[in-house]
Amino acid sequence: MSRIGVFTCHCGENIGATVDCAKVAEMCKDIPGVAYSVDYKYMCSDPGQRMMQEAIKEHKLDGVVVAACSPRMHEPTFRRAVANAGVNPYMCEMANLREHCSWVHEKGEATTHKAADLIRVLVEKIKHNEPLFPIKVPVTRTAMVIGGGVGGIQVALDIANGGHKVVLVEKSPSIGGHMSQLSETFPTLDCSQCILTPRMVEAAQHPNITLMTYSEVEKVDGFIGNFKVTVRKKARKLDEKLCTGCGLCIQKCPNKKISDEFNEGLGTRTAIYVPFPQAVPNKPVIDTLNCTFYKTGKCKVCEKLCPTGAIRFEQEDELVTLDIGAIVLATGFKLMKTDVFPEYGYGKSKDIIDGMQFERLASASGPTSGVMKRPSDGKEPETVVFIACSGSRDRSKGVPYCSKICCMYTAKHAMLYKHKVHSGKAYVFYMDIRAAGKDYDEFVRRAIEEDDVKYIRGRVSKIYEEDGKLVVMGADTLMGGEPVEIRADMVVLATAVQSNEGSEELAQTLHVSYDTYGFFAEAHPKLRPVETNTAGIFLAGACQAPRDIPETVAQASGAAAKVVGLFSNDELTREPIVAVVNRLPAPAYSHCVGCFLCLSACPYQAIEQEEIKSRSGEVIKTLARINPGLCQGCGTCVATCRTKAIDLQGFSNEQIYAELMTL
Amino acid sequence: MAEPFEPKITAFVCNWCTYAGADLTGTSRIKYQSNVRVLRVPCTGRIDYMMVLKALHKGADGIIVSGCHPNDCHYTSGNYHARRRWMVFKKMMEVMGVDMRRITFSWVSAAEGARWAQLVNEVTDQVRALGPYSEFRQIVGAGIE
Amino acid sequence: MEALKQRAIELLEKGEVKAVLGYAKGTGQARRAFFARQPGQVDKLVLDEACTQNLAAYATKHEVKKLGRVAIVAPPATQRALIQLMAERQLRDGDLAILAVDEGAIKELGSAAALEEHLALKAQGLDAKDKTLLAKLDAMSREDRWAYWQNEFSRCMKCYACRNSCPMCYCEHCTMDCNRPQWVPVASHSIGNLEYHMVRTMHLAGRCVECGDCGRACPVGIPVHLLTISAEETVHELFGQRAGAKAKLDYALSTFKTDDKESFIR
Ligand SMILES: Cc1cc2nc3c(=O)[nH]c(=O)nc-3n(C[C@H](O)[C@H](O)[C@H](O)COP(=O)(O)OP(=O)(O)OC[C@H]3O[C@@H](n4cnc5c(N)ncnc54)[C@H](O)[C@@H]3O)c2cc1C
Ligand code: SF4
Ligand code: SF4
Ligand code: SF4
Ligand code: SF4
Repeated sequence: MSRIGVFTCHCGENIGATVDCAKVAEMCKDIPGVAYSVDYKYMCSDPGQRMMQEAIKEHKLDGVVVAACSPRMHEPTFRRAVANAGVNPYMCEMANLREHCSWVHEKGEATTHKAADLIRVLVEKIKHNEPLFPIKVPVTRTAMVIGGGVGGIQVALDIANGGHKVVLVEKSPSIGGHMSQLSETFPTLDCSQCILTPRMVEAAQHPNITLMTYSEVEKVDGFIGNFKVTVRKKARKLDEKLCTGCGLCIQKCPNKKISDEFNEGLGTRTAIYVPFPQAVPNKPVIDTLNCTFYKTGKCKVCEKLCPTGAIRFEQEDELVTLDIGAIVLATGFKLMKTDVFPEYGYGKSKDIIDGMQFERLASASGPTSGVMKRPSDGKEPETVVFIACSGSRDRSKGVPYCSKICCMYTAKHAMLYKHKVHSGKAYVFYMDIRAAGKDYDEFVRRAIEEDDVKYIRGRVSKIYEEDGKLVVMGADTLMGGEPVEIRADMVVLATAVQSNEGSEELAQTLHVSYDTYGFFAEAHPKLRPVETNTAGIFLAGACQAPRDIPETVAQASGAAAKVVGLFSNDELTREPIVAVVNRLPAPAYSHCVGCFLCLSACPYQAIEQEEIKSRSGEVIKTLARINPGLCQGCGTCVATCRTKAIDLQGFSNEQIYAELMTL
Repeated sequence: MAEPFEPKITAFVCNWCTYAGADLTGTSRIKYQSNVRVLRVPCTGRIDYMMVLKALHKGADGIIVSGCHPNDCHYTSGNYHARRRWMVFKKMMEVMGVDMRRITFSWVSAAEGARWAQLVNEVTDQVRALGPYSEFRQIVGAGIE
Repeated sequence: MEALKQRAIELLEKGEVKAVLGYAKGTGQARRAFFARQPGQVDKLVLDEACTQNLAAYATKHEVKKLGRVAIVAPPATQRALIQLMAERQLRDGDLAILAVDEGAIKELGSAAALEEHLALKAQGLDAKDKTLLAKLDAMSREDRWAYWQNEFSRCMKCYACRNSCPMCYCEHCTMDCNRPQWVPVASHSIGNLEYHMVRTMHLAGRCVECGDCGRACPVGIPVHLLTISAEETVHELFGQRAGAKAKLDYALSTFKTDDKESFIR
């Protein structure tokens, strides 16, 4: 027989004025299993808690119902108090007499009766409560950051400075991401490389950071605190330890006409290359698709010249498996290509470029050394048209969302152009100007007012080539839709920001959700923006949604704080409100029949397969097993299981059934 | 004179949205009828149709099942699973001839305190007008000696 | 029929299977399940209109699995049951030689993939009689429907013949046997019967292969299959998918779409 104590709180007048608390306490004495029932002015006050603790000891209570306010308010308080009196905290439940009764009903008999009912339900529940113990999960204090753009670098540095090990995995040969390609940055117009390069170097030299460039995540097993990540280190065809980065090989490589990704196809590079001079690490890779040796079996000029003998033509990809406690995704974005716009001639004209190409043209380290030359003939463009929202907010292009950064960088581009070509004319076609942010609107106004950039509100319907010019036909909606025709030398399309190549596959590898557009989904749009719904995996930067640098960096630091928080203990302690699959002695082993209908119901991929094996190693039965490190206790699987093999601790079938039977 | 009929209403609500919404009804001191008895579970995903059947078995005249609006689930998708389950359950109950005017499914968020009060009142009034669910109560009694 | 027998003998003689599970004459016009263990027993096999029982229900039984590889005579509904059982991991791909029977023609299918391909070629239609009955139920007023089922269930004695005949009711520990808590009363009184059929129907929604065996198995003639079939049809209407089509599990009730359409949730 249970010995349950019921403690009815008046909450001053809050409950007491509407519910006859003394009567409730009296009524509860008659509930079978209730060994003690009392009412008190303020249960949550110190004397209230002390009185409860004394009663627990004196009456040898093994369960407690506190009839007071919402459990969402004081459940932790009373569970702690109960624990301090030596009873398992999960043997305490709260009846919500205040929010769900006294505050919402009129004073009277019915309300007092309802209060007693609410208590009765929980008394019956408690009879089926079991002591529960926090779940402890060990934590490997090494983080992995996937993606080495400005976001990933920031996360890595913050975690490393917090005293923890970080592995930074970047798929391209250098860290830096899109920011390393930018010329100057809004809203301050400071040089992008100048502010980014020191960070890149810091990351490379940090004793807590291991860089794995030219590498990709292949497989992820395990769960929060205990991931096992397999990384593919792609063969650089180079012994990185021997290479000093002298660059002799690059100078002498005979194969010099390869379209350069870093310069967005506006320049060329060699087959053995570093993507850009400030690359980190400053160690080349051989592009085996274009290398003469791999194509013809002859060349090896680089091998002959390398003073340290670092070239390794026979080198193969290497798979490395690492123990990781937390993962941060920072894989960034990609830009929509210019060739999807029929109205702009599918971007066939060399002088219709995208924003990133413009960045390279404007960059001092770019293919034109920062001198404005249009790609087709190298002439200085006298008139440039910038088209914002190219593909963004356009359902027909599959991008109904706003890419967020284009308004700002388009203003920046127009300004940079005007600073370089003083006599030039810059036009911007736009739908709306979205320049919300510190100093952002001022920045756009500067472009219009100080740099005389002509802003035209309207869409461009067509661009065609005529006599070496690009004829841009649009309309000015502020002038009543009056047609506008501009004969331009170059057109810059601010194409939409899209989720990066391979995002969906990566999300599947990591079991994190992604939205319709392939951006990774946050656990809660407002309150958990840097977490994913897979515990232990976090987000930073443009891989979650279009973001500019300040936002990326802020989110990166947020994600890092989450990781450092997770790493602040050897063990992770979790609430024991988790699901369990029942276990029985042989030959049944469990009520689970191994149908795994529950598997896809779990929002957290917490359900695993467990094989029961005989002594000889033969599989007798395959059962579901719930990983307590991942389960969040929603109970969806419980309701899905036909055989009632799964139950949820704290809200078990027996508890709920008992509650229902009092109604 | 027989006492006026007061319906028994059982509500199954999730902890994070509707229960919190009902808490807000309280903190906002919005009054509603006291017929309802609320059972708290973590998520609508946890609400097994067995619970609804048992509530009917125990003589509920009306039932409310409520949780987070689509897209707002604390556990991201428990409510989507629940929604599918309810869609099929509702049809099954109709085929069986159960009076589905007595079972109300709804989304009430943690911010919708007033909506909770309104929902409870509407359901209570509607079920009161329908009268006791004698059809069901009859079979509960039948055959049990 | 002859082709079937011939193949059965071959399979047994070559030792490719340990038994051939098919139909044999029962009492009167009835047909019963029959295991031919030796080539000599194959002659007892029959195949005609009356062979309606879904033999897939045997395939998951412990005793049958212990035999080793078995060949199973499988009309369309049995084929659907087998693939669904594979999807639910109750049968292993390749453990059975499936002798698919479609309007007299026999085709041997050795793998889940072959079965899936075979099933994809066919349209699944409801039995004409069931269709009429379902339409009749649909046309009734709610009160009449209630009365109809109450009247039908009044004969139910919870013999569980429906459950036992159903290929998808393979659970070792059925909810109906669950006693902590006793969700569904054991007794076969009105409420116990109603809850049993409600719960079983829900368990079969999205899993019922519409063979109708549960209804045929009922000794007192309650058309319980109408319940599970209509639930399955509901799933099909709402979510556009059916049980018994794919070898990879695709259970309508443990997935969702964010834009699932309903109009009753307030
Ligand atoms: C034309 C243009 C101009 C811009 N100008 C400005 C500006 O002036 N000011 C401003 O604030 N912002 C500007 N931005 C926005 C800025 O570029 C982004 O905010 C920033 O780059 C986002 O950083 P990130 O680290 O999230 O992503 P990224 O910079 O995209 O970096 C992602 C990194 O992850 C790597 N990666 C991708 N997938 C994988 C994988 N599977 N495994 C391993 N590594 C992977 C990539 O190689 C890359 O290095 C501009 C953007 C554009 C397009
Ligand atoms: S726990 Fe239930 S639903 Fe999951 S595999 Fe086991 S029996 Fe099937
Ligand atoms: S309770 Fe929820 S989170 Fe836990 S295993 Fe079940 S479905 Fe997954
Ligand atoms: S429920 Fe009935 S019709 Fe459906 S698969 Fe089972 S036996 Fe066949
Ligand atoms: S009624 Fe449900 S639990 Fe029982 S055997 Fe059938 S599917 Fe399994």
